[in-house]
Amino acid sequence: MKLGYTIVYVADVPNTVAFYETAFGIKRRFIHESDLYAEMETGGTALAFAGNEAAEMNGLAIMPNDPASTAAGWEICFVTDDVEAAFERAISKGCTLVSNPSEKPWGQTVSYVRDLNGCIVEIASPIA
Amino acid sequence: MPIPVGYHETIVTSEASRSVEAYWSFTAEKAGGGLVLPDGRCDIILQYNIHSSDVPVPIITGPATQAYTVEYEVGDRWLGMRLRPDNGCALWTSGIAHAVNTVLIGPEALALLPKLAKLNNNNLTIGDFSKTVGVMTKLNTNRWVSRALSALHTSGGRMQIEKLAEFVGCTPRHLNRIFRSHTGLSAKTYAQLVQFHRTLRLIQREHLPITGAAFEGGYADHAHITRAFRRFGGFTPSDIPDELSLPTLFP
Repeated sequence: MKLGYTIVYVADVPNTVAFYETAFGIKRRFIHESDLYAEMETGGTALAFAGNEAAEMNGLAIMPNDPASTAAGWEICFVTDDVEAAFERAISKGCTLVSNPSEKPWGQTVSYVRDLNGCIVEIASPIA
Repeated sequence: MPIPVGYHETIVTSEASRSVEAYWSFTAEKAGGGLVLPDGRCDIILQYNIHSSDVPVPIITGPATQAYTVEYEVGDRWLGMRLRPDNGCALWTSGIAHAVNTVLIGPEALALLPKLAKLNNNNLTIGDFSKTVGVMTKLNTNRWVSRALSALHTSGGRMQIEKLAEFVGCTPRHLNRIFRSHTGLSAKTYAQLVQFHRTLRLIQREHLPITGAAFEGGYADHAHITRAFRRFGGFTPSDIPDELSLPTLFP
């Protein structure tokens, strides 16, 4: 077994895809014609977005993400050599600041923002 | 669940089906009966028998929170329109506040919706019916109520009212007031209905044991799930009847 997808349930799939393209510079793989599902070009494990109503369709019950509320207990982490630039871009394109880039004792630079849906996104340098 | 590229289907989500008025019909080919489960929506119904020349009987229901039994004979036919949950007020106007589990039959139904008197023969089609009552589809959309309904269904009815109000962006007091004035029900009762239906599905379709379904459905213990099932279904989780509803009533 391998990790195939990370699927985030969101209020508006196309909006979220557009946001991730401009704020984090990752490209879309496709948006399904139903606008209920989309995948990003993130390599072997796809970052995907599904509409909140798709959760109900599949018999799930979820707490919808809410930018005005406490974030859900998990995060997405993007890795880049230039954390400062990626972080500045994310903030200037509409992400909410959680913590500025700072260096951890093990030498990694780490920053946190929240996306349009209130999900936590970490932008960090690779661990050497 | 990922959806592959190239998969084509007009996906009608439960959310989409809640955003329209649904026309339904049922004709009994043999005598029988069934238990109709409450879904918190109002119906406009004409009932007649295709083998009889009696004029159709108009029936109007308020938002249902209790199950009821329907018995039918060969040829009994129902035509109905189920209103969107937040559009009950289009039918009942301010009377929605006192309409919960109310059933108006015959003259009482005509008093509320005089147009139904035009549908006075038993060769009716869904088309005739929808043309006459279709005006009821007038939108009574309120963005807070719509958002609250979506969130309640997304969360399986497990969102607390304070949390729900925060999510839709108004105070709990305001949310309760507008929710009730549109649907006739409190947000809490609606949430409990959603929770009941989801948990019932977990037992019926997914064959979860009762303890597992209660846990996933958000019931604290066996007494809690039993109380909810008795209230909305009239049965206990271990004694779910086979014939739950008229086949086309809850698509």
